[in-house]
Amino acid sequence: MKNKSSILLLLLFVCQLASATEKDTITRFTYQKMHLKSLSLEDDCDACGCSASGGSMGFSSMLNSNFVGIRYFYQSYTSRDGIFANSPWVDENFNTAQVWARIPVANKIQISALVPYHFHNRMLSTGEENIDGLGDITVLAMYTAIQTMKDSAVYSHKLQLGGGVKAPTGKYKSSNNLGTVNPGFQLGTGSWDYLLAAEYVVQRKKLGLNTMANYTFKTENKKLYQFGNQFNYGSTLFYLFDVDQIKLVPQVGFAGEVYETNRQYKQDVPDTSGDILFGKFGVEAGINKFSVGVNAMAPINQNLTGGKVEANYRWSVNLNYSL
Amino acid sequence: MKNILKYNFAFVALALFLTSCNSDDAVITNVSGTGNLVLEFDQSYGDNDLILSQANATSQGETLKISTIKYIVSNIVLTKADGTIFTYPKNQSYFIVDESKPSSHVIDLTDIPSGDYVKVKFGIGVDQQQFNLGADGQGNFLAEAQAADLLWSWSAGYKFLAFEGTFTSPIVTSDTSFMVHTGQTGTDYNYTEVTLDLPTKALVRPTITPDVHLIADVSKIIDGTNKIKLTDYNGMGMGAMIMSGAALPLVTANLNGMFHVDHVHND
Repeated sequence: MKNKSSILLLLLFVCQLASATEKDTITRFTYQKMHLKSLSLEDDCDACGCSASGGSMGFSSMLNSNFVGIRYFYQSYTSRDGIFANSPWVDENFNTAQVWARIPVANKIQISALVPYHFHNRMLSTGEENIDGLGDITVLAMYTAIQTMKDSAVYSHKLQLGGGVKAPTGKYKSSNNLGTVNPGFQLGTGSWDYLLAAEYVVQRKKLGLNTMANYTFKTENKKLYQFGNQFNYGSTLFYLFDVDQIKLVPQVGFAGEVYETNRQYKQDVPDTSGDILFGKFGVEAGINKFSVGVNAMAPINQNLTGGKVEANYRWSVNLNYSL
Repeated sequence: MKNILKYNFAFVALALFLTSCNSDDAVITNVSGTGNLVLEFDQSYGDNDLILSQANATSQGETLKISTIKYIVSNIVLTKADGTIFTYPKNQSYFIVDESKPSSHVIDLTDIPSGDYVKVKFGIGVDQQQFNLGADGQGNFLAEAQAADLLWSWSAGYKFLAFEGTFTSPIVTSDTSFMVHTGQTGTDYNYTEVTLDLPTKALVRPTITPDVHLIADVSKIIDGTNKIKLTDYNGMGMGAMIMSGAALPLVTANLNGMFHVDHVHND
């Protein structure tokens, strides 16, 4: 019953956020509304949704299930600046500093929040272009559906299911999308998006496997542009070393992202769907309540926006404090 | 488990509900009034962006360094999804696209009835009916064409397309000039029309100005359906001049396959 009411509360919270754009009850969102309205009615090609809050990098740490922390991640892309075979390729650097937390609110319920700040740049033929600012904030509630006691079996299982909302707190600016250069060069999608998420961890002694999947339903933004729904999935094998006071968790795995076609004015935008599969590895180290993690991802296979955008690699570093 | 599924459904339902009440569809559903549309002509050589004076190979073993490509775009007709046709006012429907003048690549069409357009048709050159109106019937366009060097003389008429530069081939080893000019000859008028489907509907509204981005692949002018070797027209060794005779209808036929719509921006 307690769980139920928590979820209801979350739903109410979501509704509150959503209705805020209309009713102006929360000042921050009032500002947001004004902001969106001030955007001109011009739009451009498409997006691979790179502006999302880490996508397949996941929402969790292998080491601690409840934490607050900061994470920095870098994404390197190369995009074709034009529509011709000999159009130049430009490098794009996506930097994100993110405050993230996973906080228990009830026996089996945890709330995750991701508050990103982006600072992106790219070198176009016309000069360097920079965008920076608050990105889209994501709030997720996860419910622990299955959890076996650690000592009771050889294998322990934990299954969490949940859902959440991504608020358009990041600026969606179509003028960032001149020509057919990477449409993901944005701070946000400009839309209220909704997520369903699942995470499953199976562990045998010190060896574990974390598998996650999440699906984002993206809605039309105020400029009648709708980024394609996005499916993220990934699996990470990890091993727990205990060295004196230090916990060391090396990890290796893969992560994938699948993007559906973007739509503008209810029409499909050509060459905006795509998919990418990354291989990833990393390590987390924990001392007392603090943990540090580094992660790197390199594409194994990709087909983004009709081949006009190529992801090169990503890496991240985080500092968490477990709760 | 069951309960969770229920909650997830609740989320989906909520998402759908919020989607439906968040968007302002009137912008596109209200098809009234007029708007503007932009035709943007970008020149390519094959799949590459055309770079003037850079060497490009033809399938006939010749190498072209193009210095000039310009042409007259005329008689624009737009077709809506329901088949309705809008003909742009004829006396305003003559334009010159010149690769060396970027501003000329963009043709701004105004006062177009709102609608979802799926097709564009335009002529290359000046149609005979318009030419028959005589010099006085040409309005400002005569002076414009003259300034752009797209008029031989009034009696000889307009150059519909001018394609110039230098070429080499296994036989012609030093850079030799070429000029391909289409226009009327004693036997053929050589005006042609091009009809293209739009890959995405162009949504003309008072607040939406679609940009139809066309590519003119200039390699097709002499290396299209009809293959023309410049070397064959360099009889006197004075350069290949294709401005009359039997080759012009062949070039004109090639112009039909020279254009395609790369994409449409509904901005």
